Amino acid sequence: MSSSTCLRRFAKSSLERAVQPSIASRSLISPQASCFSTSAPRHALPTLAKASKGPPPKKGSTLILKKKKAPAKAAGRPPAPGDRKAMRKRIVLSNNNALEVAGLQDLKETDALSGISEGQVKGLPEDVVDALRAMEAFKTNQGWKLFRRPATLIRKETTELAGLLKQAEEEKKTVRRVFIGDRMSGKSTLLLQSLSMGFLRNWVVINLPEAYDIVNAHTEYKPLPGSHPTQYTQDVYTANFLSQIVKANKSILENTQITTNPSLPLPLPAKASLKQLAELGIANVETSWPVFVALWKELTQPGLPPVMLALDGLAHAMRNSEYLSAQVKPIHAHDLTIIRHFVDHLSGKATLPNGGAILAATTSSNNPRVPAFEFSMQVAEAKRYHPDNIPQWNPYKNVDQRVIECLKDVEVLKLNGLSKEEARSIMEYYAASGMLRAKVDDKFVTEKWSLAGMGNIGELERAAVRLRI
Amino acid sequence: MRHSRQTSTARSLSTTASRPAEPVGEPQEKFTAAPPINFAKEDAAKAGSGDEKNIDLGKLRVVPASPSYFSSKPTFNDDFVSLSALLRKVSALPTVPNSEAPKVAWKTIDQYRIMTNEPVKTQRYHKMLHILRRLNTIHPSLMPPEVAEAMKRYKKASQPGDVRPNPVFIDEMGRAKGVGRRKKSSAVAWVVEGEGEVLVNGKSLTQFFGRLHDRESAVWALKATQRLDKYNVFALTQGGGVTGQAEAMTLAVAKALLVHEPALKPALRRAGCITRDPRKVERKKAGHVKARKMPTWVKR
Repeated sequence: MSSSTCLRRFAKSSLERAVQPSIASRSLISPQASCFSTSAPRHALPTLAKASKGPPPKKGSTLILKKKKAPAKAAGRPPAPGDRKAMRKRIVLSNNNALEVAGLQDLKETDALSGISEGQVKGLPEDVVDALRAMEAFKTNQGWKLFRRPATLIRKETTELAGLLKQAEEEKKTVRRVFIGDRMSGKSTLLLQSLSMGFLRNWVVINLPEAYDIVNAHTEYKPLPGSHPTQYTQDVYTANFLSQIVKANKSILENTQITTNPSLPLPLPAKASLKQLAELGIANVETSWPVFVALWKELTQPGLPPVMLALDGLAHAMRNSEYLSAQVKPIHAHDLTIIRHFVDHLSGKATLPNGGAILAATTSSNNPRVPAFEFSMQVAEAKRYHPDNIPQWNPYKNVDQRVIECLKDVEVLKLNGLSKEEARSIMEYYAASGMLRAKVDDKFVTEKWSLAGMGNIGELERAAVRLRI
Repeated sequence: MRHSRQTSTARSLSTTASRPAEPVGEPQEKFTAAPPINFAKEDAAKAGSGDEKNIDLGKLRVVPASPSYFSSKPTFNDDFVSLSALLRKVSALPTVPNSEAPKVAWKTIDQYRIMTNEPVKTQRYHKMLHILRRLNTIHPSLMPPEVAEAMKRYKKASQPGDVRPNPVFIDEMGRAKGVGRRKKSSAVAWVVEGEGEVLVNGKSLTQFFGRLHDRESAVWALKATQRLDKYNVFALTQGGGVTGQAEAMTLAVAKALLVHEPALKPALRRAGCITRDPRKVERKKAGHVKARKMPTWVKR
């Protein structure tokens, strides 16, 4: 500080010398006395800041006995931009420290939809794991990273759903289900199981991994021309979505040729495969939505395999999105084309001619309050499980009619806790993986089952594997 | 002839050390003194007998009611002597071992001092208690009524076993109810035979208690006795915080479990499910920041 002051002083005095040469000549001898400018003396003796003598502490202020420490600097470099997020979102599907489970069988094409493996833990085949990974069906908070390779428990609800899928496959029906249940009861995992069943049965499997990512205004959007009322497309998201579809269903899309004649803004080679069609949308982001529409039209042509369309975090798709319209009004999620597409199928407005399944899972972790949606779920649950006691909407309260209409006749599949046999089966798997070091007997299973709130599978895993003390 | 004119108020003239006037709570013992001299009657008797001799009141010899009157602790001496005499009288009666004798809460030395208003020494009082305990060991079926009456004077007003808890039972649906408290929370638990299902305020254990520790606390009575797979529990809790509610449930479940299996009491006591934790939030005091924390010291 003082050195810079001195430098400035030198600069200043030299300047003065240039302007007033007569004074400057004398100033060489005694610069302090001869300079008439007041600024030079003011700069001459830079007052040293009195280090210790401040004003006395105000009355009532606390006595600080310790000196303030500088905050500890982190050793090494902070992570590069994006690294933290990548770490957070990383999906780890294997644990080299876990033991290989002897006798763990894979889920097979032949027994995927039959109920014979109920109550058993089944491994997921590698190609299915790749497809599921491409579809972002694995979640970070699921316990895949604890075990050698991905495997799931075929529980009662899975078997029930498998029966429905089998029916859909054989009779070309559309199954529409919403998975509800407590927190950590396995809703997303059931979705994953159904996706893998679809892959095993060579269905066309399309998954919207998280509704929240579609409505939270993190991707660009634009109005869809010619739509009334205005709908909005999300081109970048849709292009990425198309690339996920291509990655996951590569063989089907490669081997199927275009039969309709879609009118697209870009030319397509003659006898193009569906993969080529989708890649057109991936390469040209602005055409991604028309390409998706054309692809969907192709997929619903007769003779093709059934389609499975799945969405996680349904509540987010049933409220206003974070996007704003040109009139600075919030855009309802149903006005976003991707959500609209899903919701039309979920409500039964559009059907799948080749049969298939429209599946959605609710979430309890990132769960927005959507009264109309919650009410619709209560009604659907009551219709299925206790039809004599169906709740009524308070007529003095406003309701989002679009949501009520959409979920009017949708059916739910409620996930309850595991049975004790299922709990025992999964805990034997934990023990065989070396992640649970206890003797798995009836007493132990019942204890964990009770503490996990009557067999809530997530809590069971937490109590048995994660919170080992 | 006794000419004592002592009344209860005149007791302050006694030679013993001065004592507080009227102790509150404990009733003062009735001091029985000689009846007052009825001078009219005396005069009539004198006239009737024809004896002309005048009574010189100044020369009357006053004899106290008790021979211990001139000792420093007259009541205590009387008590001790009478109990000793009683013991001598009944010493031949068969006795039971001390452990089998009825449980009695004797008056403490302080209570006895207040009752008698005398500075009784602790050791002396213990000697008397020794006699009393010996009297208490007389076989209950042969206990003479005079001994029972005499002992009553030295017993506390409330005896162990006086307060009886409401009888516990399993109702017609197989439920046993228990109530537990901790901090500001209270819990009511019903325990039925089952296979380990737990509902708290209509929710599952995981929904109601986020922490695994609290879940374990709530069913600790069952877990510690390895009965978790044999009973179902449904509970209602209210007040306080999450941990308080969980620990109130510990007590409630333990009490309800004891109805089903009373023999588990020692095991449950070892597991810490019987004793109510009496600690509560300490009140804030004036001049303090919290209950005990003082304001920070300031130089000026």
